[in-house]
Amino acid sequence: MHDLTEDPKNVRIVIMPFPTSPSPSSDYQKLHALFSDRHRSIKERLLTKHKDSVEWIMKNMPAKEHIAAGSLSGLLLFTPPVVGTSLTPDATSQSPEAPILKKETFLITDLASLLPDQVSPLTPDQEATISGVLSREYGFSVKPEIDGIRLNRTYGYIGAEQHLMRYPGDTMASHFATADEAFSYGRSGMAPGRGAWGYFTTSKYEMTQKDIDREKYYLAVQTFLAPGFNENVKKYVDFFKYRKMLVVNPQNGKAMVVVIGDAGPAQWTGKHLGGSPEVMKYLERVDGRAKGPVLYFFIDDPDDKIPLGPITL
Amino acid sequence: MSKKQFYHTVVQTDSITVILSEMNLTQEERIHLSHIMESSLHHAILDAILSELSDTDKKLFLKELADDDHDAVWKFLKEKIDGIEDRIVKVSDDLKKELHEDVKKVKNDKEKN
Repeated sequence: MHDLTEDPKNVRIVIMPFPTSPSPSSDYQKLHALFSDRHRSIKERLLTKHKDSVEWIMKNMPAKEHIAAGSLSGLLLFTPPVVGTSLTPDATSQSPEAPILKKETFLITDLASLLPDQVSPLTPDQEATISGVLSREYGFSVKPEIDGIRLNRTYGYIGAEQHLMRYPGDTMASHFATADEAFSYGRSGMAPGRGAWGYFTTSKYEMTQKDIDREKYYLAVQTFLAPGFNENVKKYVDFFKYRKMLVVNPQNGKAMVVVIGDAGPAQWTGKHLGGSPEVMKYLERVDGRAKGPVLYFFIDDPDDKIPLGPITL
Repeated sequence: MSKKQFYHTVVQTDSITVILSEMNLTQEERIHLSHIMESSLHHAILDAILSELSDTDKKLFLKELADDDHDAVWKFLKEKIDGIEDRIVKVSDDLKKELHEDVKKVKNDKEKN
């Protein structure tokens, strides 16, 4: 196991383990909600206002020193000493030395200061700044537009898509490589029709790892709403088909390299894009009333060197 | 109980703890809420301090803090920030007032029901 104390990017805090409380009292739940909201806003203010200081600590002081000193781990309480959001088994079973500050924290902070309060289309300036941040953080070129082609937006609500048939005859029974995968993602089901680009391959025997990954890590985006789409359908379809993108949940810093695997969702849904079951689970996004926004930008990868799947900083 | 911090010589959180003890809470729940409160207080005080220091002094302060020498931290802060104790007390009082309001709200809601 990786020793977090050796990694200056990680800071730990000693968390007092709490006994499990199977049914928290009503007073507790209400107070917890109020206290936690206040705590969140205070810590976000500290992190935002004093980002330079935090980065300096992370760079110049080894994690061991933070732990030994105690006070610095206190300083870096960017999550509460009570890491979970409630007195539940999950919250109480935290390791006494759980990591609390990762590099994603800085990305989250950066993005929070750049994104609009409402989930609305980004301005060209915002897109330029945010794609610059993402390019810097992930080390490859992230763009809102390539060759004069762009989507209708780069920031929007993501909904859940189903699995897509990869080849004629692909079913839920044949779709997963392992029982674990079937258990984790089987409940999403399979879309009744093919994706916008048809099958990913011609048969099970012709299927490559690339085909598997493309279906696993796909987005459905509103290609049909892209400026200029109707005037240049073939050109745009060729451009969008399996176009590599970076999708980021700005609220937890989780990101994935994906492809455009389908077109949708319809405008009336109120959603702006969809994610495969694997994408949604990794990004910790859900459909319905609890839906949340993501950033999605093209990756300029003409030599196809950047692998699909989860990506960390 | 949370680790003793340098500002605990001028900041007390007993009043909140006492109020929590009057609520319908288990011991674990009280401890949990107290930790959130302490953490909020810690963040708020550090925000107030860092906001008053130059970039260089921020680093010096953080080093002092890492050494965990409370006397040295106080000495440093008193040299750099006029009335630092009063400022910390004010930050603490403001936050405690807000937390008291939270508790009051929950109590009132309960009485209405």
